[in-house]
Amino acid sequence: MASAGPSPQRGARNKSLDAEINLVPFIDLLSMCICFLLMTAVWMEIGALQVKQLVGTDGPATSANSYEMDLKFVNKSKVEVNLTGPTKKMQKFTVEGSTSEMLLGNLGTLLSGFVNVLKLNPAADVKNQMGKTISVARVTTKTGVPYGDLVGVMDRLREHGIINLGVIPSRE
Amino acid sequence: MALVGTHELKVGTFDKHLLKRNQKKKAKKRLIIAGLTLTSMVDMFSLLVIFLLQTFSTSPELVMVTKGLSLPAAISGRELDDAPVLSLSKDGIFLDQKPVGKTQEILADPTPLMKKLADLRDLWQRSHPKDKFNGMISLQADRDLPSNTVGQIIGLLPGQAYSTVQLAVVSGSGGGK
Repeated sequence: MASAGPSPQRGARNKSLDAEINLVPFIDLLSMCICFLLMTAVWMEIGALQVKQLVGTDGPATSANSYEMDLKFVNKSKVEVNLTGPTKKMQKFTVEGSTSEMLLGNLGTLLSGFVNVLKLNPAADVKNQMGKTISVARVTTKTGVPYGDLVGVMDRLREHGIINLGVIPSRE
Repeated sequence: MALVGTHELKVGTFDKHLLKRNQKKKAKKRLIIAGLTLTSMVDMFSLLVIFLLQTFSTSPELVMVTKGLSLPAAISGRELDDAPVLSLSKDGIFLDQKPVGKTQEILADPTPLMKKLADLRDLWQRSHPKDKFNGMISLQADRDLPSNTVGQIIGLLPGQAYSTVQLAVVSGSGGGK
C-alpha cells in the first residue's frame, strides 16, 4: 500500500515535519493589528439626505405630467399631505400618530397607497415610477416639531423613491 | 512535645504542610490554565482581527461630528460628498468647526454667517477657477433642535449660492450620540 509518510530508515535522519509557530511574535503582531484597527475603526457611519432648496434657486424642473407633494407639520403628531396633480387638482390627506414612529409608519403606509392614487403599475419598479411621477416634495416645518422628525419624514419620502426634497420654514 | 519518627511535631506543622500541598496543587493548576488561556486568547485575537478587518473602511471621514451633537437617524442616507460643514447645536452655530454665533443671534442678524459662507465660496472659486460653484454644503444639526430653526437656517443658505444641502444623518435605524 502506498504511504505518504517518510520511510522509517530515512525519517530518522529527516527533521520533524511538525512546524511550530513562535507564539510570542504572533501574539505581538495580532495585538498591534487590533490596536491599529480599533483606532481607525468607524463606529458611526454618517450618511447624507440631500435637500435642494426650491425657493430662490434653480430647483428641479417640474414636467406637465408630474405631481407635486406638500407636507405640512400641523404638530408633532400630525402631518397634512397635499398632492397636486398635473391638472392642478389637489388631493388632501392627513397622517396622524401618537408617537414619531407611528406617524412615520402611517406616512409610509400612505405613500405605499399612492400606487393606486397615481395609477402606477404595481408589477414594475414602484419606487422608480413614483420618483418620476412625483417631481418634488416640500416639507414645511413647525415650531415644536424636532428636527429628528423632519429628517424621519424626508427619509420616508426618499425610501419611496421621491428624491427631490425641499424644506420650507413656517412663518411663525 | 510529640515525636513522629525522628521529627518533632511542633504546633502548626500540619497546617504548614497543608498550605504547601495546596500551593503545589495551585501551581500545577495555574500552569494548565495558562496554557489554555493562551490558546483561547490567540483565537479571540484572530477573531477580533478578522471582524475589524471586515468592518474596516478605507473611505475618508468627511465629517467630524461636533461634540454634544446627536444626529438624527435615516435609512436612506447616501454617501457624503466633500463640502463645508455647518453645525447647529444647542450651543450655537459652527462653520467648519469654528464658532459663528448663537443660533437666535444669527437668525436675527445673519450677516456674520453670510460673510463666512461668502468667504468659503470665494476660496473654493479661487482654487477651482475653471469650475462652476457646486453650491453644496453639509449640515449637521442636533435631532432635538426645533425643525423650524433648522429650516430657517437652511432658508438662509441659497442667499450665498448654497442650494444643495446635505443633511448629515446616522445611517441605519439607531441615532448616535
